[in-house]
Amino acid sequence: MFVAMKPHASAAEFQAVLEKIRSLGLTPQPITGTERKVVAVIGHVTGLDPDDLFGSMPGVAEALRVSQPFKLVSREVKEEDTVIDVGGVLLGGKAIAVMAGPCSVESKDQILEAAHAVKAAGATFLRGGAFKPRTSPYEFQGLREEGLKLLALAREATGLKVVTEVKDTETLEMVAEYADVLQIGARNMQNYSLLEKVGAVDKPILLKRGLSATLKEWLMAAEYIVSKGNFQVALCERGIRTFETMTRNTLDINAVPVLKALTHLPVVVDPSHGIGLRPHVPAIARAGVAAGADGLIIEVHPHPEKALSDGHQSLTPGEFEELMRQVRVIAGAIGRPVGA
Amino acid sequence: MLVVMKPHASEGEVASVVERIRSLGLTAHPIPGAQRVAIGITGNKGGLEPEIFETMPGVQDAIRVSQPFKLVSREVKEEDTVIDVGGVPLGGNTLAIMAGPCSVESREQVLEAAHAVRAAGARFLRGGAYKPRTSPYEFQGLAEEGLELLALAREETGLKVVTEVMDVETLPMVSEYADVLQIGARNMQNTSLLKQLGEIRKPVLLKRGPSATIKEWLMAAEYIVSRGNYQVALCERGIRTFETMTRNTLDLNAVPVLKALTHLPVVVDPSHGIGLRAHVAAMARAGIAAGADGLIIEVHPHPEKALSDGQQSLTPREFEELMRQVRVIAGAVGRAIA
Repeated sequence: MFVAMKPHASAAEFQAVLEKIRSLGLTPQPITGTERKVVAVIGHVTGLDPDDLFGSMPGVAEALRVSQPFKLVSREVKEEDTVIDVGGVLLGGKAIAVMAGPCSVESKDQILEAAHAVKAAGATFLRGGAFKPRTSPYEFQGLREEGLKLLALAREATGLKVVTEVKDTETLEMVAEYADVLQIGARNMQNYSLLEKVGAVDKPILLKRGLSATLKEWLMAAEYIVSKGNFQVALCERGIRTFETMTRNTLDINAVPVLKALTHLPVVVDPSHGIGLRPHVPAIARAGVAAGADGLIIEVHPHPEKALSDGHQSLTPGEFEELMRQVRVIAGAIGRPVGA
Repeated sequence: MLVVMKPHASEGEVASVVERIRSLGLTAHPIPGAQRVAIGITGNKGGLEPEIFETMPGVQDAIRVSQPFKLVSREVKEEDTVIDVGGVPLGGNTLAIMAGPCSVESREQVLEAAHAVRAAGARFLRGGAYKPRTSPYEFQGLAEEGLELLALAREETGLKVVTEVMDVETLPMVSEYADVLQIGARNMQNTSLLKQLGEIRKPVLLKRGPSATIKEWLMAAEYIVSRGNYQVALCERGIRTFETMTRNTLDLNAVPVLKALTHLPVVVDPSHGIGLRAHVAAMARAGIAAGADGLIIEVHPHPEKALSDGQQSLTPREFEELMRQVRVIAGAVGRAIA
């Protein structure tokens, strides 16, 4: 349920609505970033009539039930696109945000070389994993805090914002200290303890889609974060598990227009994991932007053949530069700038 | 195996290689290319040595084809296949746009649809006369009457007709009317039908099975091509996944992967691929951006009254707007629209 105020409703009228919600044993959750004041009503609202309760209160424009099971992330509750301000760099809105960098942070030289290269090609975010959720316990697990320090160093050197994965509640505090955007990996999309914790921090979140999560389950996972008060969430489509084996995953580009209609959150596409084959990453990056994605996250490694992870899908800096050229052309064709 | 002839090999030299292949009990498939002739060999159970051909006059090279699909692979034919559908290209730099109703329902309906999609820039008219509906109680198509109406619409508009053939029995009749024979997703592995299509000389639009891998799909195309019909285009129309919010999951990964593996044209069907009218345009744009050679789109003059697929059919106006968007993306990737 949500209550929308009239454009010129007074602060006192809004306060009265919040009081009324609390008096019913429910929690008011004001929605930010909207033109009109909107407050969501959280709690057990089954059987309550929104119009009966709030319709006649002064300053109230309308009080409605949200038809979707996801509430705060839905466009019904907030019509305007969410634009996340990551220390002056925007994620969401008209400009397409480009995040690029290696799968894993491997060394000082590697991360600095990658950061300078992607920055020169037009990226505004640096991706790189310090804590890696690898399929095999015998594979490289990341440099941990040392990796985070190297990411911070690369940020200092280039001005890029750092996107890095947080794997568990234990390391959340540490990762949040270094990261500008906290990535929740596909395998953690439904790690509800972690989602609740990142809902309580004041940091933008990039929530990757689970390998076999439906769009509804994914939006419910985002709702976990937002319902705890952190509205700075972006969704990242990274391919789903299907019967096809020629590609690493099947990038579900259908998800892009469907999500843009259902939610106000920014939608980012990860063509690197989505197809998993270096020569085809640019084609599918173009497709993502043409479908309406708000951003791209792409694996770039100065020497993919020597990468400790995901070398087969990482672009060289030269290939990334060419991809950016192609993406700019597609973005231009639909009237969107790249980077901000 | 593939025997690659030298650029200026004589017809006689090509003929001797073909003769040699036949004498070994194998089938020869000469494939003319822009630079040179290549001869595909099928029926090889292993044990065939390239040296047999390498020493023959006019032969440049004899190579094993690593993929299980042979004649449709880029290894065998490097140049893109461009199908000439009575003067309208399918494949190549120009995007082929196919549009029209799911089913032919009446004279007025198909003529109205044909004129509308023609005006918006389509060169092919789609429309089903034989419909493989999930339920046996639903509208099954107008059969031959529908084909006659498609022919009438072709006469009036000049559009080429793409229509589905469902079985071997009706194949002669459907090919009499159609310019392009569509093989529906559910028939992708109807190998009896595929073999018959290989025997005729009509372009075929082979849709991907709802749960066919790319390899299985290329093998199905190989069934047709191996019988001598090289005029095959592939159509990605979405696969079956766990997602229920969309009708299918349009696998656009398939587009660049196919373009690398095969010389056949690749068409995208965003209507079935997402199944939601509001989002067809976004997926059509994405398909072109990924490198598709064409689009097939459901357009109905009155979607709310359609006997099938109304929920994913565009109105003529929506199609016009989609074409405007597709033209912009096509321009951005250096492709033209006829």
